[in-house]
Amino acid sequence: MTALAEAGTRWSRQADPESTRRQSIAQVWRGFLTATRLGWQTEANWTNPVVYFLYAVCTPVFATLMLVFMIQVISGGNAPPAYRAYVVIGSGLWSFVVAGIAGLAWAVLDDRERYRMLKYLFVSPNDLLVLLLGRGLARMMVGAMGAIVTLGLGVVVLGLPLDLARIDWPVLVAAMVLGLVSIVALGLILASVAMQTRQDSWHYPEAVSGALFLIVGAVFPLNILPTFAQAFGLISPLTWWLEAVRRALFPDIQSGIGGAGSLYASLAGHDAPSGIEALLALLLTTVVVTLAAVATYRWSEHRAKERGLFDVTTGS
Amino acid sequence: MTAAKGSAERTPSAARSPFVYRPTASPEEAARWEPRRILITNVRSIAGRAYPRLIGLRREPSWILFEILLPFLTTSAFVFVYRALQSPPEYIGFVVLGGAMTAFWMNVMWMMAAQLYWEKDQGNLERYFTAPMSMMAILLGMAIGGLLMSTFRAGIVLLVGTIVYGVVFSVDQWFLLLGVFVLFLTALYGLGMMLATLFVLWGREAWHLTQIMAEPVYFVSGLNFPVARLGLFGAAALGTIPLAVGLDAIRQLAFAGSTNTGSFISPEGEALLLVAMTIVFIGLARYLLRIIERLARQDGKLITRTS
Amino acid sequence: MPVSPTPLHSAAALAIDARNVGRVYKAKPNPIVALDGIDLTVRPGELFGLLGPNGAGKTTLIKILTTLLLPSSGTASVFGFDVERQTSQIRRIMNIVSGGEQSGYGLLQVREQLWMFSQFYGLGVREGWRRVDELIDLVGLQEQRVQKVSQLSTGQRQKLNFARGLLNDPWIFFLDEPTLGLDVSAARATRELTLAWQAAVPGRTILLTSHYMAEVDEMCDRLAIVDRGRILAIGTPAELKHRVQSESIFRLELDRLDRGVGALARLPGVISAASVAGNDNGADGERNTILVKLVLVDDGALGPVVSALAGLDAHIVSLQKSEPSLEDVFVELVGRGFEDDLTVHQNGTGLRSAGSRPADEESVAEELAGRSR
Ligand SMILES: Nc1ncnc2c1ncn2[C@@H]1O[C@H](COP(=O)(O)OP(=O)(O)OP(=O)(O)O)[C@@H](O)[C@H]1O
Ligand SMILES: [Mg+2]
Repeated sequence: MTALAEAGTRWSRQADPESTRRQSIAQVWRGFLTATRLGWQTEANWTNPVVYFLYAVCTPVFATLMLVFMIQVISGGNAPPAYRAYVVIGSGLWSFVVAGIAGLAWAVLDDRERYRMLKYLFVSPNDLLVLLLGRGLARMMVGAMGAIVTLGLGVVVLGLPLDLARIDWPVLVAAMVLGLVSIVALGLILASVAMQTRQDSWHYPEAVSGALFLIVGAVFPLNILPTFAQAFGLISPLTWWLEAVRRALFPDIQSGIGGAGSLYASLAGHDAPSGIEALLALLLTTVVVTLAAVATYRWSEHRAKERGLFDVTTGS
Repeated sequence: MTAAKGSAERTPSAARSPFVYRPTASPEEAARWEPRRILITNVRSIAGRAYPRLIGLRREPSWILFEILLPFLTTSAFVFVYRALQSPPEYIGFVVLGGAMTAFWMNVMWMMAAQLYWEKDQGNLERYFTAPMSMMAILLGMAIGGLLMSTFRAGIVLLVGTIVYGVVFSVDQWFLLLGVFVLFLTALYGLGMMLATLFVLWGREAWHLTQIMAEPVYFVSGLNFPVARLGLFGAAALGTIPLAVGLDAIRQLAFAGSTNTGSFISPEGEALLLVAMTIVFIGLARYLLRIIERLARQDGKLITRTS
Repeated sequence: MPVSPTPLHSAAALAIDARNVGRVYKAKPNPIVALDGIDLTVRPGELFGLLGPNGAGKTTLIKILTTLLLPSSGTASVFGFDVERQTSQIRRIMNIVSGGEQSGYGLLQVREQLWMFSQFYGLGVREGWRRVDELIDLVGLQEQRVQKVSQLSTGQRQKLNFARGLLNDPWIFFLDEPTLGLDVSAARATRELTLAWQAAVPGRTILLTSHYMAEVDEMCDRLAIVDRGRILAIGTPAELKHRVQSESIFRLELDRLDRGVGALARLPGVISAASVAGNDNGADGERNTILVKLVLVDDGALGPVVSALAGLDAHIVSLQKSEPSLEDVFVELVGRGFEDDLTVHQNGTGLRSAGSRPADEESVAEELAGRSR
């Protein structure tokens, strides 16, 4: 039985008929914590710590290396250090996105196709949504590990200009919280997709995060993109999250959003957003994405129930 | 084929019992298959296994978005990195080429390597082992289904990428290019077959190994730049990873005359390398399948559904 | 290796020939002995049943015969082909269906799924479609012809499995609890189909396992009762029942039995005494009787039992000689019923237990198995 399923049944044991209808916040919270803890166990229990560490850091470190090397190949020894720093931060942070988006969708696929537990989770008195969120959060811890190691390597090996005294902690913390919410929301959308699609959709989340990579200014400033693509970038919370975190950690780094000829500059009238501005935009877009995600999820759940998709297997 | 058509096709022979097909006089006779029949059965099994793959694609078209459009955007991201660096135009061509070729690699990683393991979890492996075809036919069928899809995806990325980003190819040796491409596919899918068997042996961890391997392989394969720039790593990749060899050879052939495609080995040499890889990987896959069958029969595990 | 299989017409090879087959699974904390020296021969054309409690080793034996598992000791062959080495030959002439089987791909339709399997058996492309349609008609899945496999009900699913099993017109068909989870009529349809198939194509052999006594009784030419990896008895259903009948069985209804059935089991001439639940009239408070199943060495032993009952202060409400069923055979041999509401007291070497196995059942089993040969 998966940990997720275990969380579901554990709850169902606690739940009395009354609370099935009207769960208290405390119960939901307790369930969420259980799902997170058990999700973490499923995430981590398949191997020894060394392999697990590799698993967490391989993808972000090598993805970053690839970009650093591309810069190296083109610019030789005289690569602009500012741009390199920009790329390392962007692709390091991206680790969160990849892990967060994939986590929920994979939980759906795993539990439906492999363990065939999804239906039981769905009928357990707890909201499947909360269970999935717990699992997703656990997976994001893997992403966090990758991001921290990548940025750490960036500072130590590539000489990223990190100055602990100059970090804007309030902005950083606020941005991280909002950013995680929006990433989980995107993950939820992918989980909704996974609920509808077949087993071979394992790499759909990767495809989505790869496509987002293009428009959020992770590894090049938005102003290089055509205007319509920049517009997509500006409505994505991830763009603002990256910007805010970048600003908070490395105050001197170039803006990924503004700059000469950028859509932002022409709309806002000034060259680049301030930390607070980025935060506000992040807040706004996060709210929108979260609402959209919950709506999508509810719709998906409804459709799955209608068509009996919870207990199908869809191999081919 | 629709049901109605299928029913219409049936021969209304009252004399023949529906139970019997190709009557045999004795089990000994029924068990005696001449080599030709064995071969035909295996060929048909390949088609049989490829069939659900293709049906799956037709029945659920979400892959058009997720397998074609979105990956194209990912590839575009790297194009813009080079644009930001004001790189020579070939490099953008390298990215488009790499983006097209990754389609095959992704397919091998996600749809082949872990597939046999999935088959086990679905309870199919036991039925396959009790049927008379070779498991190699199943692996091949699995490969072909995915191969067609990936070819489609690669073609689109290449075509659209070339048009949108104005890539200019210059090919002198068309036949060699085609040959190298085919060999690239045989080597890569040979590797996929081998991984599929390995992953059955390794179990659940295999799933995560796929992820551990993905990015490092992209990096050392020189997805977006000539692999020779990686020095020793690049050479090592050329010795082991079909993606690296295929990319390098095709890059040299598709940008003939470019000064930026320098490699350790000529495309001809790389073609030979791919032949060797094909032989080694498929040989290993066969060998591992035997091991799996032996272990499964010894320990009562591996091919039995466990979860 | 060149093994010349004996042609069927002359000295026909046995459909199944298992000699001293043993199978040990590696397991924590201790290895599990699933099969412990199975000797079994099944003739071509026979419908042979394996009856045994959960974990008896039935599936293990089937896996060995279907080339999915190696025996740890002993040898076995199917139509003369060795299960260890001649796997290809065996796979060409056999098929297997087990209860609750989920093989295939959920995204495929019934027809497509069957066609896929038909290709694995080397049927031609069109030949495959034709045969698939025939079999769909045969098993009665016409309405589900184009339904997705993942949407089938358990019974439909099992029909699909049957159709798959018949695709290659096997010479030997292994059925591992084929009626598991089926309703009464679906189970009957399955049985009828199996028998019809065997009748239509002479010489086909079936090895069937089941937990349903009546099913085995009704269908099988011969059967073996298996427990803990050993065969306790082999014979036709009639033979096996006759064996129990030689020891008279009575259903005895008593008003009370304060000292328990154990007291009866100790009486001379009593082989076993079991209290049978299910006749509990206590609810209405009027008649509260005890039903005992008595197995006696012969009818003559009844007299002493009746007189002893008086001494036990129990009055006979009714007494009936019962015809034995396979279940009786099973209970006698295995020492317990499938349902646990059957409490058996073995009379013998001072074995006493209620509701669970006798402490030293091995010796009893051996004794019984010895008697059966
Ligand atoms: N792969 C395995 N690994 C370890 N032990 C096993 C394995 N398969 C079966 N066993 C054990 O071997 C014994 C016999 O199992 P088997 O499945 O053959 O019984 P069965 O007669 O088919 O039972 P049932 O009626 O419940 O299907 C059991 O104790 C079982 O736990
Ligand atoms: Mg069994």
